[in-house]
Amino acid sequence: MTRSSNSSAPALDRLLERRLLLFTGKGGVGKSTVVAALAVEAARRGQRPLIVELGHRASMQSIFGVSQIGHEPTAVTADGKVWAANLDLDEAIVDYVVEQVKVRRVARSITSNRTLQGLFQAAPAVREIVMLNKLRLFEREESRGRPIWGPILVDLDATGHALMLLDMPQILGNLFSGGPLRRLIDVLTGLFTDPSRTLLNLVTLPAEIPVQETLELHERLARSRGIQLGALFVNQVPPPPLGPELRPLLPELAALAAREGLTQLADDLELATQALAEDARVRELITTLHREVHMPLALLPRLDPQGPDALQTLGRAALKELAASPPSAPEQWIAAQEGA
Amino acid sequence: MSVADLLASKSLLVCVGPGGVGKTTVAAALGLQAARMGRRTLVLTIDPARRLAAMLGLDGLDDTVRPVPMTLIDPTGAGSCAPLSAAMLDTGASYDALIHRVTTDPEHRQRILDNRLYRIMSHSFGAAHAYIAMERLYDVLHTGEYDLVVLDTPPTRNALDILDAPGRLAGFLEEGVIKWFVRSPAEGLRGRLFARGGAAATKLLAMIAGDELVHELSEFFSVFISLREGFQQRAQHVQQVLRADSSAFVLVSSAMGPNLADAQFLHEGLVGRGIQVRAAVFNRAYTVLGADPRQVVTTASPRAAAHAAQLAALGEDRPETRRLLAELDGLRAEVAADNLLGQRAVASFTAQLDRSCLKVQVPKFERELRDLQALARLGDQLCAATPAA
Repeated sequence: MTRSSNSSAPALDRLLERRLLLFTGKGGVGKSTVVAALAVEAARRGQRPLIVELGHRASMQSIFGVSQIGHEPTAVTADGKVWAANLDLDEAIVDYVVEQVKVRRVARSITSNRTLQGLFQAAPAVREIVMLNKLRLFEREESRGRPIWGPILVDLDATGHALMLLDMPQILGNLFSGGPLRRLIDVLTGLFTDPSRTLLNLVTLPAEIPVQETLELHERLARSRGIQLGALFVNQVPPPPLGPELRPLLPELAALAAREGLTQLADDLELATQALAEDARVRELITTLHREVHMPLALLPRLDPQGPDALQTLGRAALKELAASPPSAPEQWIAAQEGA
Repeated sequence: MSVADLLASKSLLVCVGPGGVGKTTVAAALGLQAARMGRRTLVLTIDPARRLAAMLGLDGLDDTVRPVPMTLIDPTGAGSCAPLSAAMLDTGASYDALIHRVTTDPEHRQRILDNRLYRIMSHSFGAAHAYIAMERLYDVLHTGEYDLVVLDTPPTRNALDILDAPGRLAGFLEEGVIKWFVRSPAEGLRGRLFARGGAAATKLLAMIAGDELVHELSEFFSVFISLREGFQQRAQHVQQVLRADSSAFVLVSSAMGPNLADAQFLHEGLVGRGIQVRAAVFNRAYTVLGADPRQVVTTASPRAAAHAAQLAALGEDRPETRRLLAELDGLRAEVAADNLLGQRAVASFTAQLDRSCLKVQVPKFERELRDLQALARLGDQLCAATPAA
């Protein structure tokens, strides 16, 4: 069978050297954990990672066990090497207005006007534009001529809303022919569509519904030319439950247990049979992802309990997977599955 | 109070919860169960979920309400099943339909439909998406065709938008804001832009956002001003309905820590908005270990030796059999540990729920649900489910 070649996909072992790494995926796939793990790995490599959440629930607070993450970056690890921010709509509006009127006090008086607040809260696209603008500001922040933050890892909302956010510059571009918003939109478009600076990464689970959604999302993203795709992280891939040489014994012993009325043994064998069936489904789904999605895949182990050590292990595993995931990997995986 | 009582007595169930826990499936199972109990039911989903359509035996789901073919459940039609219908919100289409419904003058209608801000808003925005969901809900609640509407909502992080959007839109259309842009509908554009009191503010806005936006906004408001009252009335009405006794919020989660943390955030958000959660469903909460479904956490004590002895007595004592038996112990211990972890997480979560809140958990099914019959089994499970610890 022929399939379109994966050879255009970049090797992503240097993923963390990009300026802006965006992450999206269906809710509940562990996207925030993957983002946190990659930030920890970046810090271990001597970088200064900044995790950005977009003002909904602050997942990073519970992941790193810190009490308050606000609009401006806060260190979230004891060694002070991983930083996080959770954007606040009102503050992001102030950030935008300050750039236009130059004086923060005047900006605050504009944004604290109740009527204007009502307008900002509900007006289409205000939220999206000021949040993207804040990402641009982080990206640009410098100290002694060098960028302060890198990589900036953005934990986007679940799929649908992330797409809306990323479509925004393009949609709004049609609305303005000049003025400050037009200039901002051009800058944002430049930043988000520059593959040397920005990559959009996907996170999924090896389960039917998340994989289906990933395929649909990938199809939509591949069609639109905007943003460059990075890696696909498949989270919580379970280890195979039984050694292959033991598997043929299962049906045999199950028949015996049924015949002899060994109910406990029958229950255990049934559990193993189900675990094997589940494992086969997982492998099949990963094969499908390899075939259909033209992005380097990183298969991440299932780790519990959560905690700093687990994050470190996960982060290392992710980068190791990407380093070992040259364009030929999908063929190897598929061949290995077919041989099994 | 049981899940069956909720299905029999309420006229609106709102399913909320984190993504990936099977919320849409639970919503559909609840809807099907209600129809089987003889209530005319509509399942309204917001998430685009092709799989739900397949499960319901439909080609697809869109803005049009479609009847679900019930022949799998009730082959002769002689049963007591009431009709079940389903629809998925298509934001763009719904907005246009709404504008068609609330405008009478064709020229006015066209001006709205052609307005660029309106077109962007109706096709792309989160808050607008949530707002239209509420309009649509208002709409179906007023048809009188359904005894029960089951509303499925977007995942946690955006679910509270559903509650906040109508208020925000009302704020947007609030008189104070509109006055800046529109002094009276009869005045020309120039008059609107520089209306008394609004001049300074619009200038400021032009400075930070550009003339073009101000122009578009004034055009937007001038076509929307006549609809303002209707929007506000409906928004208010829906807010009342959501808090009424005839409505119930059902919180759906898994038994996994991160999902429960999301669920807790959502629960707090709901309580903060004056909404009580009537039922908490923990879906796929545990793996059934053995024939007794309540055998959730078995003792992890090894059985391999005992099983080996039993098998040896039957003449089965190959070394690989012994190895397999040892692995089975490990596997069962792992599943039991997972179950235990889940049960503890659920217990500490439910401790924070109101006493009157119904708590049920359903086990993992062997495979993903594929059709109406499977959905009916889930419905039965929900009604007969083990109460959570």
